[in-house]
Amino acid sequence: MDIQNTQSQMRKGVLEFCILSIIQQGEVYPSDIVEKMKLANLHILEGTLYPLLTRLKNAGLLNYRWVESISGPPRKYFVMTEEGKAAFGILLQTWKEMATAVDLLTQEKINTAENSNQAVS
Amino acid sequence: MNKVININFQGRILPIEEQAYEMLKQYIESLRVYFANEEGRDEIINDIECRIAELCEERLKKGTVCIAASDIDLIITSIGRPADFEAQDGFEASTSQTHQNTSGNNNSNFYRDGNRPKRLYRDEQNKVLGGVCSGIANYFVIEPWIVRILWFFLIGLNILIYLILWIAVPSTSIKEVGGVRKRLFRDIDKKVIGGVAAGLSKYFGIQVWIVRILFLIPFIRFVVNFRHMHLFQFWDAPDFPNFLDITFSPGAVFVYIVLWLVLPEAKTSADKLEMVGEKVDLNSIKNTIQNDMEGFSKRAQSWGSNLYNRNKGTNNSNEANESNHEGTATTHNQDANKSSENQRSTEKRKGFLYFIGRIITVCIKGFVYFILAIVGISLLAALFGIGAAATALLPLKNFLIEDGAQTWSAIGAILLFIWVPIIGIVTAVIRKIAGLKKANVWVRSSFIALWILGWVCIFYFGSSLGNSFSRHNLPAEQSIALTNPKIDYVEITAAPKMKYYENNWFQFEPFQGFADEDTVYVRNLRIRIVQSLNDSFQVKIVKLSNGKTVQNANDLANKINFELTQQDSLLYLDRGIGINKTDKFRNQHIIMTIAVPIGKRIKITNKGWSQTNVNINGRGMRTGTIDRISSDESWYDEWNEPWDNESYQFERGVEYKMTKTGLEEIQRDFKTMEDSDGSNSDDKQDDISDKEIQLQKLKEEREAIKNDIKKLKEEELQKEKIKTEKVSISRKDNVGNSNLDNINKIGKAAGKLSDLQWVLDRFTH
Repeated sequence: MDIQNTQSQMRKGVLEFCILSIIQQGEVYPSDIVEKMKLANLHILEGTLYPLLTRLKNAGLLNYRWVESISGPPRKYFVMTEEGKAAFGILLQTWKEMATAVDLLTQEKINTAENSNQAVS
Repeated sequence: MNKVININFQGRILPIEEQAYEMLKQYIESLRVYFANEEGRDEIINDIECRIAELCEERLKKGTVCIAASDIDLIITSIGRPADFEAQDGFEASTSQTHQNTSGNNNSNFYRDGNRPKRLYRDEQNKVLGGVCSGIANYFVIEPWIVRILWFFLIGLNILIYLILWIAVPSTSIKEVGGVRKRLFRDIDKKVIGGVAAGLSKYFGIQVWIVRILFLIPFIRFVVNFRHMHLFQFWDAPDFPNFLDITFSPGAVFVYIVLWLVLPEAKTSADKLEMVGEKVDLNSIKNTIQNDMEGFSKRAQSWGSNLYNRNKGTNNSNEANESNHEGTATTHNQDANKSSENQRSTEKRKGFLYFIGRIITVCIKGFVYFILAIVGISLLAALFGIGAAATALLPLKNFLIEDGAQTWSAIGAILLFIWVPIIGIVTAVIRKIAGLKKANVWVRSSFIALWILGWVCIFYFGSSLGNSFSRHNLPAEQSIALTNPKIDYVEITAAPKMKYYENNWFQFEPFQGFADEDTVYVRNLRIRIVQSLNDSFQVKIVKLSNGKTVQNANDLANKINFELTQQDSLLYLDRGIGINKTDKFRNQHIIMTIAVPIGKRIKITNKGWSQTNVNINGRGMRTGTIDRISSDESWYDEWNEPWDNESYQFERGVEYKMTKTGLEEIQRDFKTMEDSDGSNSDDKQDDISDKEIQLQKLKEEREAIKNDIKKLKEEELQKEKIKTEKVSISRKDNVGNSNLDNINKIGKAAGKLSDLQWVLDRFTH
């Protein structure tokens, strides 16, 4: 089994959710998203972030606003639409369920294993 | 020392090193290719450009004088390369890894780093064809030309092995940074049918039309080998060379269909890059053009997918309604899950059906294209054949067509009506195969205009030629006196020794051949056998002709010169009607009526004229009514009607006896039949007919024949002996040569002798 593939699949699934949760907190500039995610130890390339944002925007979940900057031309800031908030709510609920489910299952396994493997975590 | 240029980049003035500028340009180009299929491609690229500009400005603020290549490199690394997006599935390309990649970017020659285990690669840098030989040379660290020569001598032109290696051995380009492995795809952007040929050409890095021609060769073969199409008989083309059989001929269609089914479409731009095996970072103008084309097809695709989504959306809402209707307290969440599950299963089913559907459609499509190709090429070939035939007829035109308008319209019809569309279609097909744009409007419309002119020509020509044939003469029957009409047996045969040469490579009925430059012979003769009123043979001839006016037709009919001579029981007819250039061919023909008395025999040989040009009508044979020679002149139409005698077929070379009820077959004369069938060349035929005369004499005196044969034999032998002796005497000095000559002569003599023997044997039997 291709571990790396599974890993990237897992990451990919939550990527949009993570981005949405950052934007949901308020108006944000794309490079700030990268920074915030980096802080959370999630690395994303700007090259992959922009297309994602555009896709979300075209889906009606996001909107953007031109904000004047002191140096140079105005910058694009992203905000969440009402639709986006609803979608985020669904995703959040799904995530919570998933997280509890995963926790429960992995916990169970660890409990039943009761071996030195426990130290791995 | 680097040149620095100022660029206006996203509303910012940036001083940038030229090298860095090139890198930046290439990078953006690569993004453009990568996001080619994204809906908001331009927006994405614009955003990224903005970000780059911002990062550059930051750098400048920090105090750097200008943007250097290293800066651009860092910026690009932070944003990521298309290859990284791909490799990391769009997420978390670790920076360290990209650094490694970029550091390797500059030394394109991977052979330098010796850490890597040795592997066989095709060398893209030093390739001649596919880089197999130079790859092997690199592997063994020898000069490529040595490998090439060895390859040539050891394996010869065994292309198959080379092809296998070409496909199996990876290219060096995959080792280069950002490079991608080559894969076979169908290229839907450049497709004609399924894009297989285009994909293959991309894979092998050759021109598309080469692959297409290779796929088309079997079709062309198929059509050219259509022997039952009479049109091709004029063209004695040998079969296509055999080597094509080995490589591509067997089931090109099958191969094509299989590839069509197996190969994935190059959908995403990453696929497209893989298809060519091009480095992602290196993008040329070609890609830009390609992208522009994609933009168009993409709009169409998105429209289609929108439609599909809308349908799906209504389906989902239906399902949702149903589940609500059941009244179970389902949460919003579960409902969503359920509907998505349903959706997945339907998609699965759809997927399977889709696959089967695809196979069926591809097969049908393939079949249809196959048929279309054959029909198209056949039509083209037919047109070509007509054109060639018409052109080949030009030497005969003086005997058929009047000078002036008629000639010009004929030439116009051939050129414009036949050749213009051929050239037009062929060029269009070549353009299509070569992937060129269509010819411009002016060229096309002038082609069409010329063709319309061709139509005018052909109508004018047809009507004026029809006019020339519109009237017929007033026929008059003339009796021909026979020197000895009371004989028991008459054999009708062609006059021997008429010197003309036959137009061997092309025959147009009823034109027989040129006698000289001004005369052409037409075999337009009908023979009608009726019962005689008295006990003597009678022959009557009617000369018929068409013309513009009745007068003209009468003149032409009177000019017909048709000789008939009797020699004992043999009746010699002229082999054809001579037609000269001033009189033209106006369907001059002759109807000969021969009346056979009851109880007497008649035979018509088929020597000297071909089967089709002489119609024989055994009128009254085995039918109740018996025609008698009449003096009535109102029978023109009756006699001119088609003479396909449905009740009885008169056979040539067969002796018939006239009875009260009609003709009766007596015996088959196989000799004459064989004679006429066995010999093709006229010289031979003439020779044989000469001997036939002798034979006929001999028949009457069998013993004399045998003596004659012996005499002939001896004479021939003596002649040959004398000849060979002469030769040997005259070339005494050169013994070896003369010996050889002698042997040759003797061989020839023996051949002649055996021929003679054969003829004589048949006589005696």
